[in-house]
Amino acid sequence: MAPALCHLGAVTSPNNSPLAISARNLTLTLGDGDAAVEILRGIDLDVADGEVLALLGPSGSGKSSLMAVLSGLERATGGSLTVAGEDFMAMDEDALARARRGKIGIVLQAFHLLPTMTAAENVATPMELAGDKDAGARAEAELEAVGLGHRLTHYPTQLSGGEQQRVALARAIAPRPRLIFADEPTGNLDVATGHDIIELMFARRAEAGATLVIITHDPELAARCDRIVTIADGLIATDSAAR
Amino acid sequence: MSAGNVDTGLSWGAAWRIAKRDLNARFKGLRLLLVCLFLGTGALAAIGTLTAAIESELGNRGQELLGGDLEVEVWQRDLTPEERAALGEIGEISAGTRLQAMAVSGAVSETVSETVSGAGAAGNAAPVELKAVDTAWPLYGTLTLKDGRRVGAPDRGEAWLAQGALDGLDLAVGDTFTIGGTQLIAAGVIDNEPDRLSEGFQLGPTIIVAEDMPGAAGLLAPGAMYQSKYRIAFAGGRDPDAVKENLQKRFPNAGFDYRTRDNASPGADRFVSRMGEFLTLVGLAALVIAGIGIGGGVSSYLEARRASIATLKVLGASSRDITRIYALQIGAAALVGSLLGLIAGFAVTPLLAAALQGLLPVNGGFVFEPAALLIAAAYGLLVAVVFAATPLVRARKFPAMALMRARIVPLSRDGRALAWVGGGMAAIVALALVTARQPLLSAGFLGGAAVTLGLLALLGWGIRKLAAIAPRPANPLWRNALANLHRPGAATGALVTALGFGLSAFVLLAAIQSSIDGNIERRVPMEAPDYFVLDVPRDRAEAFEQLVLADQPDATVRTVPSLRGAILAYGPKDALIRVTDLEEIPDGAWPLRGERGLTYADKLPAGNSLTAGQWWEPSYDGEPLVSVDQEFAEAIDLQPGDYITIGLLGVGRTAKVANLRRIDWESMGFNYVLVFSSNAIRDAPHNLAATIELADGADTGPLLRLLVKNFPSSSVIEIGQVLAEARVILSQVGTATFAAASVAVLAGLAVLIGAIAAARAVRTYDTVVFRVLGASRRQVLLMQLAEYGLLAIILAVVALGLGTGLAWLVIVQLFEFDWLPDWAEVLGVLGAGLLFVLAFALAGSLPLMRAKPAQALRAL
Repeated sequence: MAPALCHLGAVTSPNNSPLAISARNLTLTLGDGDAAVEILRGIDLDVADGEVLALLGPSGSGKSSLMAVLSGLERATGGSLTVAGEDFMAMDEDALARARRGKIGIVLQAFHLLPTMTAAENVATPMELAGDKDAGARAEAELEAVGLGHRLTHYPTQLSGGEQQRVALARAIAPRPRLIFADEPTGNLDVATGHDIIELMFARRAEAGATLVIITHDPELAARCDRIVTIADGLIATDSAAR
Repeated sequence: MSAGNVDTGLSWGAAWRIAKRDLNARFKGLRLLLVCLFLGTGALAAIGTLTAAIESELGNRGQELLGGDLEVEVWQRDLTPEERAALGEIGEISAGTRLQAMAVSGAVSETVSETVSGAGAAGNAAPVELKAVDTAWPLYGTLTLKDGRRVGAPDRGEAWLAQGALDGLDLAVGDTFTIGGTQLIAAGVIDNEPDRLSEGFQLGPTIIVAEDMPGAAGLLAPGAMYQSKYRIAFAGGRDPDAVKENLQKRFPNAGFDYRTRDNASPGADRFVSRMGEFLTLVGLAALVIAGIGIGGGVSSYLEARRASIATLKVLGASSRDITRIYALQIGAAALVGSLLGLIAGFAVTPLLAAALQGLLPVNGGFVFEPAALLIAAAYGLLVAVVFAATPLVRARKFPAMALMRARIVPLSRDGRALAWVGGGMAAIVALALVTARQPLLSAGFLGGAAVTLGLLALLGWGIRKLAAIAPRPANPLWRNALANLHRPGAATGALVTALGFGLSAFVLLAAIQSSIDGNIERRVPMEAPDYFVLDVPRDRAEAFEQLVLADQPDATVRTVPSLRGAILAYGPKDALIRVTDLEEIPDGAWPLRGERGLTYADKLPAGNSLTAGQWWEPSYDGEPLVSVDQEFAEAIDLQPGDYITIGLLGVGRTAKVANLRRIDWESMGFNYVLVFSSNAIRDAPHNLAATIELADGADTGPLLRLLVKNFPSSSVIEIGQVLAEARVILSQVGTATFAAASVAVLAGLAVLIGAIAAARAVRTYDTVVFRVLGASRRQVLLMQLAEYGLLAIILAVVALGLGTGLAWLVIVQLFEFDWLPDWAEVLGVLGAGLLFVLAFALAGSLPLMRAKPAQALRAL
C-alpha cells in the first residue's frame, strides 16, 4: 500500500492536482452465504488526473475485478468510490453506464468488438450513445490516427488481431475520455504486434491527456508507467513510483 | 445517482442507427420469429380475406342473389288479389313457385294410373327442386346456359336443367322427361342461376320451368307443399326494411316470409360468417403456438448477443438503450414476417376461392380486404409483443461484467415484462371479441384454448420433472437421451406445449369428424326411414300404403297430416307477444323464424313424452289445443294455459297450450314442434307426409318408380342421398378446419427447429465428447433418435389423451351423438404428424453428424 497517496475523502492529490479516482476501503464480495467469495477486501487508492498506473498481480488476485469496479462495470460491495468526480457507490448499473459515456474508455484483452458492425461503426458507437452528432467523422479520424484509415468499412472478422485491438483502442480514445482502462491489451497478440499497440496507446493517451490504468503481467510495460500497484489476495500489496 | 447524470438516453433514431448495423440483412438469428409470424399472419390473412370477400359479395350482389329488392314468400297458397296489388304498388313483380317434385326420364307414360305391377315403369326417377318462374324473371342478374345463351323463363313445355338433374335422369339436351305426368323437353343446361344461393338448401338439383307448369300438372292442389315466391324490384329508391315493416303491418296474419336485398341469403351469410369466425379462432390458436416459437427465437437471438449487449453496456449503453435497440431489431423482423405473411395470405386467396367456386359467391381474382389484413397484422404483432417481451426485458439486465467474467448470474424477474405480456394478451382477447359476431362463442373458444395450453404447459413441466427423477438407464445413449429432456435449458416444456397443441388439434378434429361421419353413415340409416314422401293426397293414404306393401311386404309405412304455418304470436291470452315486434329472436327459439311444419294428432306421437299438462281425448272437440316442444317453450317462456297464434294459409288461428312434450330428435322420424288437436287445423287443405322403412337389403329401385308413376304429384326424398350431401358438406368443413389447424402443426415444427438450433452448441459439445469417447456416427444418430423418439411417444400419449378426451366431450356431451371415431383415421393422422416431427428433428440434427471432433474441440 502507498500511505503517501491515502487521503480519506480526497478529491485532490497531495500536490493538489485533481484526482481521477479516489477509492476508500473498497470491497467486493460475490455470491451469498457459504458460497460467498471476497474478491476485494479493502482497497484504498487515489489516482491523479493524467497519471499512468500499472496494476500488477497474479491470476485471481483481484486486479481485473478492481478495474471492473473502478470503471463502473461492477458495483463494489462496500467502501467509497469517486471516479471523474462522480460518486459511483450511489449509482445503479444504468447510472454507471451513463457515467462511462464519453468519460471512460475501456480496452479489453479479447477486443470485444461488435461483430456485426464495421470498424468505423464500432468506434462511433460510444459517441453515438453519448448523443454526439459528429460521431461518424470523429470515428473515422480516430481510425486514421491509429493507422486504420483504409479499414473503415471492414468487419472485425476481416481484420487481424492487431487491427482489431487498434479498433478497440480507437473506440476507447475517440470520445476523448478522462480515464482509460486497459485490461491486458496485448494478452491476445504476438510480441511485435503487442509492442506496436502499446506504443500507439501511450501516444494517443498522451495526446488526449487522459488518465490510464493498465492491467499487465509485463514488467517492461509496467516500467513505462508513472506508478505500479500490485494486488495480492484482494488487497494492495505494493504501491510505488515506476520511474 | 449524481444530479449531473440525468438520462438523456438514445433517441429512437439513434437507437435505430445502431440496431440497423447489428441487424443482418437476411435476419440471421431472427428467422424463427420471421417464419412463425409468417405462418400465423399468413393463415389469418387468408382466412380473413376470403371470408370478407365472400361476405362483401353477398352484400354487394344482394339484389342479384335475391332476384329483387324484396322477396315475399308464402307456403301452400298463392297471394290474394289484394296482397298482389299491394306488392304491385311497390314496384315491378316477378312471381314464381318452388316445390319438391319427382322427375322421370322418358316420354310420358300411359301407365301412370297402372296397377302396382311395375309394368311400363322405365327410365330414371330423381327428386328435383322445381322452380317455376314468370317472364319477368330474373329481375336482376342473368340466367346463363352452358351453351352461352342468356335467357329468362323457358317456353311452355320446356325446361332448363341443372347439370345434376341431367345426370341423375340420364338425359341429353333435347330429350324429354316428365314431372307430375307433364312432359317437358330438356331445352338447356343451367350454367349460372343468379338467385341460386338465396334459395338455400335443396334436396335435389334445380329444374326451371314456365310459371304455369306446376299448376297445370296438378302440383299446386290445395294442401300441396309449395312456396309462392314474389320478388319485387322497387320503383324508385325505397328502404327495403321500411317496405317490409309496412307490409307486416298491413298483412299481419298472412304468414309471409320476407327477405331483403341486404339479407339476401341469410343461411349462406350465417354459414360464411360462423365458419370464418371459427377458422379465425383456429388460426389465432395456431398463431399463439407460433408465439412460443417467437419467444424461443427471440430468447436464442438475445442469448447469442449477450456479448454484444455487454459490450454496448461497457461503452455506456443503459438498459433502456438496450431495450430500444433490440426492440427495434425484433420489431423490424416482426414487421417483415407479418408483411410476408400478409402477402402470402393475399396471394393464396384466389386458390382458395377457386376451391370454393360454385359453392359460394366469391371473386376468383385477387381480393384486397384492408380490414382483414390489418386484423391479421395486428394479431401477429400483438402475439410478437406478448412472447418477445419477456426475453427482451430480461436482456436489458445482461450485465456488462459478462465480458469480464464467465459468471452466470441468475437474472431477476422484471415486472415490466408482466405488464407487456398482460397488456398484449388483453389486447388480443379484446380484438378477438370486438371483431367477433358471436363474442360468447369466441370467448369460450379462447378460454378453452388457454386452458388447453395451460394444461400442456403443466404437462411439459411435469414430464421434465419426471425425466429428472426417473431411474437412469444403463445404456449411455438412452441415459443421455433422457437427460436431454430435463437438462438446464431443455425445451421439453415448449415442445410439449407447441407440438402437443397442434397434434391434439389434429386428433380432436379427426375424432370429431370421423365420429359425426360414423353417426351419419351407420347410426342414422339404422334409425332414419329410407324415404320421406311429401304431398301424399289425404284421400289416397290407404292406396299409398297398399302400393308400398305390395312391392315391399316387410316395409313400415307411417303417415301424418302435414301443413305449414308461421307462429305469429304467443304468450298469456291477454298479453300475446307478436313475433314481428321482437327485436331479436331468443336463443333456442328457432321455430319463430319463418314457416314451420305443423300437424295434428289424437294421440301423443311415438317417441315423445309429456312433461307438463295433459293430452287431449281422441274425440276432443272443445277449444283448439296445441302441444309444444318443451325446449322451445322454455326458450320463449311459454306455459300450459298460454296461447299461440299461427298464420295458416293466410288466416290467423289461435290455440291454447294444453301440454309440453319432450321430443326425441334422435328418432329421425316425423318430429313437430307444434302438434294441434284435430279440431284446430284439420279443416285447412292439406296433404299427408309419409315415411317408409324398408327391410334390410331391399331393392328400392322398383318402389321408387312405382311411387312416381302412381303418385305423380308426390315427391320422394331418398335419405341416402341427403346423407351423402351432408357428408360432402361435413368433409368440406373438415378440410377447411384441418387446413387451419395445420398451421398450428407447422408452427409447432418451427418451434422444434428453433429449439434444435438454440441447443446446437450444447448438442455439438455432447456429440463431440461422445465421439472422442469412441461413439460411432450411427450411435450418435441413435442417441438423437432415442431422444426425439421419447419426445414423440410423450407427444402421442398427450395428443391422444387430450384430443380424444375433448372430442368425446364434444360428440357425446355436446352433440349427444354416439362415440364412433374411426381409430384408423385418428391414429393415421397422429402417426403422420409424429413422423413429420421425427423427420424434422433428425434433419435438424444432421449437422451434428458432420461435426469433426478435433475441429469442434478447438472451437469449443
